[in-house]
Amino acid sequence: MASAEAGSGRPGLHDDIPRRLGTARGTGDRIFRYQLTSAGVVVLAIMAAVGLFLLLRAGQALRATGFSFLTTAQWQPDVHRFGIAAVLTGTLLIAAVAVTISVPLALGTALFISDVAPRPLRRTLVAMVDLMAAVPSVVYGLWGLFFLQKNVIGLSRWLSDWFGWIPFLHVDGAQPGDPLASASVYTASTFVAGIVVALMVAPIQCSVMREVFTQAPAGEREGAYALGATRWGMIRAVVLPYGKGGVIGGTMLGLGRALGETIAVYLIISPVFNIQPHILQTGTNSVSSLIALHYGDASDFGMSALMAAGLALFLLTLVVNFTASSIVARSRSGAQSEG
Amino acid sequence: MRTYPMGRRFTAVPLLAALLAVVASVLLGPGAGIAAATSYTPIAGAGSTWAENAVDQWRRDVNQYGMRISYSGTGSSDGRRQFLSGTVDYAVSDIPFQTHPTDGSAAENPAAGSYAYMPIVAGGTVFMYHLTIGGKKVTNLRLSGDVVTKIFTRAITYWDDKAIKADNPGLALPHRTIVPVVRSDGSGSTAQFTLWMANQHTSLWNAYCAKVGRSGACGQTSNYPTTSGMIAQSGDLGVAGYVAQGYGEGSIGYVNYSYALNAHFPVAKVLNHAGYYTEPTPQNVAVSLLKAKINTNKNSADYLTQNLNGVYTDSDKRNYPLSSYSYMILPLKVEGTFTKAKGNTLGAFSYYFMCQGQQQAPSLGYSPLPINLVKAGFDQIKRIPGVSAQSIDIKKCNNPTFSADGTNKLAQTAPYPKACDKKGAAPCTTGSGGATTSSSSTGGSSGGTTSGGGTGSTGTTTGGTGTTGAAGTTTGGASVDPDTGQTLSPAGSSGGTTSAGATTAGGTVALAQPVTVAGQSGWSSAQTLMLLAAIALFALILLPSVVSRVLHSRKDSAS
Repeated sequence: MASAEAGSGRPGLHDDIPRRLGTARGTGDRIFRYQLTSAGVVVLAIMAAVGLFLLLRAGQALRATGFSFLTTAQWQPDVHRFGIAAVLTGTLLIAAVAVTISVPLALGTALFISDVAPRPLRRTLVAMVDLMAAVPSVVYGLWGLFFLQKNVIGLSRWLSDWFGWIPFLHVDGAQPGDPLASASVYTASTFVAGIVVALMVAPIQCSVMREVFTQAPAGEREGAYALGATRWGMIRAVVLPYGKGGVIGGTMLGLGRALGETIAVYLIISPVFNIQPHILQTGTNSVSSLIALHYGDASDFGMSALMAAGLALFLLTLVVNFTASSIVARSRSGAQSEG
Repeated sequence: MRTYPMGRRFTAVPLLAALLAVVASVLLGPGAGIAAATSYTPIAGAGSTWAENAVDQWRRDVNQYGMRISYSGTGSSDGRRQFLSGTVDYAVSDIPFQTHPTDGSAAENPAAGSYAYMPIVAGGTVFMYHLTIGGKKVTNLRLSGDVVTKIFTRAITYWDDKAIKADNPGLALPHRTIVPVVRSDGSGSTAQFTLWMANQHTSLWNAYCAKVGRSGACGQTSNYPTTSGMIAQSGDLGVAGYVAQGYGEGSIGYVNYSYALNAHFPVAKVLNHAGYYTEPTPQNVAVSLLKAKINTNKNSADYLTQNLNGVYTDSDKRNYPLSSYSYMILPLKVEGTFTKAKGNTLGAFSYYFMCQGQQQAPSLGYSPLPINLVKAGFDQIKRIPGVSAQSIDIKKCNNPTFSADGTNKLAQTAPYPKACDKKGAAPCTTGSGGATTSSSSTGGSSGGTTSGGGTGSTGTTTGGTGTTGAAGTTTGGASVDPDTGQTLSPAGSSGGTTSAGATTAGGTVALAQPVTVAGQSGWSSAQTLMLLAAIALFALILLPSVVSRVLHSRKDSAS
C-alpha cells in the first residue's frame, strides 16, 4: 500500500520535531486509488459470497450428518450416509503425488531458464512453459487417459513389484509372478491422475519460481562469482536462498490448483468410496470429480451434500493459498516484491 | 505500355465480379438455408448414453432440414434431473421417473401432466469383454445369467472359474482376473441391468448389496454399488473405451450393443430361458420385446412404460433377456425455457425418428420399434405444445418391423439360434452353420450392423460382416473366413496359466499351447545384483566429490 512516506515532500532532515507528513493527491490519483480499493474489496466480497453460498447450501446436509461428515467414507446422500473421509483422502493423495512430481520438475526448469539457458533460448522456453499452462485441462485429461495411462502401467507395476513393501506403494490384487496378471489393477489410479495433474500445475509453479529467481540481486550474484563460486555454487548460495519464498509459494500455489483439478481427474480415475491409501492401485476419488460426476443426477439433498464437499475443498484450498501467500510475503524476495 | 495494364484491369473487373458472386453465393447459400430453417428453433436435450448413438444419428439426419437439435449423453439420471429442473427441452431415459426408487435414492417427482413418455428405440444391454487366449481375442464367449450376476458381484473373480467353463465347454479360459467395468454416473444401463439381476438373481444381488453396504436390498439402482476390483467409468462410451484399451484385458463391462459394434469388440452371449445363448441382434431384440408388457392405460402417468418381467423369462429360443426400450421424455407444458416454437422443432424431429429414423436402428445396433409403439408414439407427439401435427402414412416409414397384416415382421422372420448355441452343446465349430454364429456374433464386427447375421443367418452373413470377431484384431484371412476366433481346448489348462489359442487359417485350426513360465517374485540373486549395480553407479557419481570434500576439509582444519 502506498504509505505516507512514499509520496511525501522532502522531510526536514535536521528538524527536531518531525513534520507531519501528508500526501497531496490529485483527483486522478484518488480515483485510481478508489478503483483499486474497490476492486480489492470486490474480490474479497466475492470470495466471502462463495463461501457463504456454499455454507448455506451445505447447511442441510451438514445438519443431517454433523461431525460424521468428516469421518464417513461413503457417498449415498439420499439415505443420509455420506462423508468426505474417502474423497478428501483421495484429493490429498492426488495432490501429494502431483506436487512430488511437479516441484522438482518446475524447480529444475525455472533454474535452467533463469540461470543456465543461453539468453536467446530463454524467451522460447518461457513461452513454451506459458503455453503448457494455457492448455485446457480436458486436453491433459484425454492425453492422460488415452496415452499416458497405458504407458505408465509398466512403471506402476515395477514400483509395486519391488517397493510393494512400502505401505502406500502396495497394490492389492497384484500378481507379480503371474504372466496373465491383469494390468487393470494399475489403471485409473491415484498415481496416473497425480502425474497428469503434476504436468498441469508444473507450469504455474515454474513461472512463479522463475520470476523470483530472476529477481535475485545481480550484485550478490556477481559477488558470489567474484569469490570464486561456480555457477552451481552461486545458485546454491544466492539464487536458492533468495528465492526460497518463491519456491514454497509456487509449490503451494500448485498444490492449491492440484487440489481443485476436476476434469482431468474425472476422466482418469475410477471412483471408489473407501479410503484407498495405495496410490498405484486402481480406484481413487477427489472432491471436485465427485461433484462433477454427481452434479447432474443429484437430488436436492444430494446437491446439498455435494455443496458440503465443495465447502470442505474451498476451505482447504483457502488455507493452502493463505499459507502460501504468507510464506511468500515473509521471505526476502516476497517482501521485496510486496514492498 | 499504359493501355496494357488498363486492359488487364478491365479483364480483372469481370473476374472480380465473378469472384464476388461466388463469395456471395457461398455466404448466402447457408444463409438461405438458415432462412428456411428459421421455422425451427434449436432445442437441447440430455440423458441416456445407452440410446445416444441412435439419437446422434437422427440429429445429424435432421440437420439437413434445418433442425438444430443438441443432445448430450450425460446419463439417464442426469437427463431426468435436468428435465425436472427445466434446463433441457427433452430428455432421453432408459427408465421412467423414479417416483418410488427401491435403492433408497430420493424420489423424482415430476408434476403430473407436464411430461409424457415415448419409446424411441429398442436394444440390448450387452456384456462387452476383452479376453485373449494365446494372443487371440476370444469372440465366442457364452455366459449364463447367474454367472453374469456373479461376475458383476465379484463372486466369480477368475476367467477360468468352473461356472464360466461350464458355459463354454472347450474354451481354454486363462487364469486371469475378471475386471468388471461398471458405470460411475447415474445410468439407465445400470438401472436396466440391476433390475434384471434383482428380478432374476435376487439372492445373489441382495447378498452383494448387503456386502457393499447398501442398506438391505438395493433392487433396481441407477448408481452401481462398486467394490474393490471393479472399475467405474462414466458413460457407456467410458465403459466401452476402458474395455477396448490394451490394459482392459480381462475386463467385461455392460453397455448398449451399439457401443460394442463401434468398438469392434465381442459381446458375451447370454443364456435365455429356452436354454440358448443369444446376442441382442435387432431381430432377437424384436422377438424378446414381444413379451414386454407395455402400459396401455392412457390416463396413467406411466403410459407406454415397459414391464420387462416377461422378457426375462421368455421361452422363445431367440430371446435376449436384457432387451429393453429407451424412452424420450416429452414436455407437455410450455414452461421454463420450453416454448411452442421449440415444441414445433421437437415434434418434427420426433416424427422423423419415429418414422424414417427407425430404418437405421438395425444398422446402428439397435432394434426398430414395432408398429403399435410407433402409432402410440405418434399420438404422444401430438400432445407436445406447438407441434404441427402430421398425418403420416405409416407404411411409408419403411420400418423393418411393419408388415401388411400388422404383425412384427422383424420378429417373425428372426432366425432361430443354431444348435451349437444350445446350453451344453459343444461349441460351434468350423464349418457348421453355427460356427459362424459364435465367432460372428461376437464379432461386433464393424460392418457390424449386420451382426444380426450372427445369430441368424448362416455363414454367409457372418462372413460378410467380417465377422470377425476377430475383426479388428486378426488377419484378413479371418475376416473372410467366418470361423475365426474359435478356440478349442487343448489338453491341459491346468496350472491355471496355460491356455490354448486357436488360429484358423483357411479352415484349419492351429492350436498354440502356451507354456507356463514360473513367474519371478521375491528377492533373488538377480535383484541383489541389480541393487549392487545401482549402489556402484551412485558410488561412482558421488564418491569422488565426497572424498574430495573430506580431503579438503581435513586440509582446511590442518591449516
